[in-house]
Amino acid sequence: MENNEFKNDVTLPPEQNRQDDDNFTPENFLRSVKSAFEKIRGNERLFRLLKNITLILAAAIFIILASWYFLFMAPALKELTGVRKTVITNNEELKKTPAYKKQIAQLNRDIQRLSRKYNSYTSGQSYIVINTTENRFSLYKNKKLVREGFCSSGSYTMLQTEGNKKWIFKTPKGRYWIQGKITHPVWRRPDWAFVEEGLPIPPKEHPSRYEYGVLGDYALSIGDGYLIHGTIYKRFLGMPVTHGCVRLNDEDLEAIYNTLSIGSKVYIF
Amino acid sequence: MGLISLAVLIAAFFVYYSIMMMLSPGRKYASIRDEFGIDSTEKSREGNPVFSDSTYLKLLKEKAFLQSRLIMAETDSIYLTLNLGDSTANLEISGVVVHSVKYSAIEASKIFIKGDENLILSLMANPFTIAKDWATIKKEPVMIKMAPKDTSEYKPDIMPDTSITEPVNYILEMTDGTRIYVCQQEIENGTDRRSRLMFDLQYRLQDAWSSMKNIIAFKVPEYHLFIKIYLPRNDAKNIYRAIPKYGQVGLYR
Repeated sequence: MENNEFKNDVTLPPEQNRQDDDNFTPENFLRSVKSAFEKIRGNERLFRLLKNITLILAAAIFIILASWYFLFMAPALKELTGVRKTVITNNEELKKTPAYKKQIAQLNRDIQRLSRKYNSYTSGQSYIVINTTENRFSLYKNKKLVREGFCSSGSYTMLQTEGNKKWIFKTPKGRYWIQGKITHPVWRRPDWAFVEEGLPIPPKEHPSRYEYGVLGDYALSIGDGYLIHGTIYKRFLGMPVTHGCVRLNDEDLEAIYNTLSIGSKVYIF
Repeated sequence: MGLISLAVLIAAFFVYYSIMMMLSPGRKYASIRDEFGIDSTEKSREGNPVFSDSTYLKLLKEKAFLQSRLIMAETDSIYLTLNLGDSTANLEISGVVVHSVKYSAIEASKIFIKGDENLILSLMANPFTIAKDWATIKKEPVMIKMAPKDTSEYKPDIMPDTSITEPVNYILEMTDGTRIYVCQQEIENGTDRRSRLMFDLQYRLQDAWSSMKNIIAFKVPEYHLFIKIYLPRNDAKNIYRAIPKYGQVGLYR
């Protein structure tokens, strides 16, 4: 105690005094903050500027936190609440009871019946699947993939005339079936084929409507004028460029023509 | 003093908002239970050990999925089946799987994952019907082409640029409010990242706005059951373009 009193009374040289002031102590820190605040307070303009900056920053932080809360945290809170979970059991004693056996047998019968019905949809007959987004086809025989490759499908172009006549060139999606098989098909050009080239539309049976050799060696009709046929524009295979029909290269077309028969399913998606 | 009152008021609103948000799944679960749960005529099922038996539940799952697929197969439309057990998404037409893809990750509502097995299986025994969708790609990428006036104006079609890849993210919302979020798996560049972030923010904003409106009106906000899957870009695109606007989706877990 005496020692401390003695220390406090000692007058230190000026260098040592300055060193003590530079030492970081809470008192020194508070003193320097207070003096800085006093200095700012003295400068009215600086004080107002800093006050505004602080308010803007606080508002910005509040908006960011509130947005984060409403957009991310609050929806996550929904998933925090509990739901009553079924306790799954595996009681061997229960499995021996006649009531249990009856229930399971009934369920098995139901599943078998439903499976049979479901499997009957995929017949053993050959079918083709056409993917219009990737412009690819897959040919199936006896439920096994036997060939796949590129094709071309509808371009999704809407041809519009000044008279507001419209045609949309897209391949229909869904389940179809082969309705006709044609060798050496001839293309009977519809009206849009003339409109598209800026040509006048000829009468219905005009010779200019018939074009030979452009559809390849075979064509398979799926109804509503849509065909699976060959093409002279082979570099476009794998791209959406057609007026709605499905184009294939010569080898694939021949294989498909030989595999599918009238009534075979065509699945387009 | 005024500032403190404002802070207290804001804090109270946040607490109220949180409570209302936490109440919403319970409300949804109760409505599912009302629709598909044990009714008064089936009281005998309650506490019956058969209904919590593992073999029974496994068979019931299979039956529910088959039932739902059969309902969809009877139509001519393209439909989607999501198998949460083996992580596959199938596009089917009349019972024939025309496209199958494995998805990489899944996030789903707690109700779907942990909810009462019998209840969720009853919910899944019927297909879900799409009511609306939001997507970063067009369902039908139609391009309008004006017909040339004469042959001098005619320009033959040029080869389409297939190198352009657009980010694929979409949400399918079912008639009962269940949502299926499909996000493209690949994040190859800034565009993909930005697109997913913007798409995510867009629906979060919509949801937050709708919740806010309900909460201000002292109503519990709507809860959407959800499943979020990550698919390769091309497969995600194939599925979105293939399923009809009001198509059907079957779920299996």
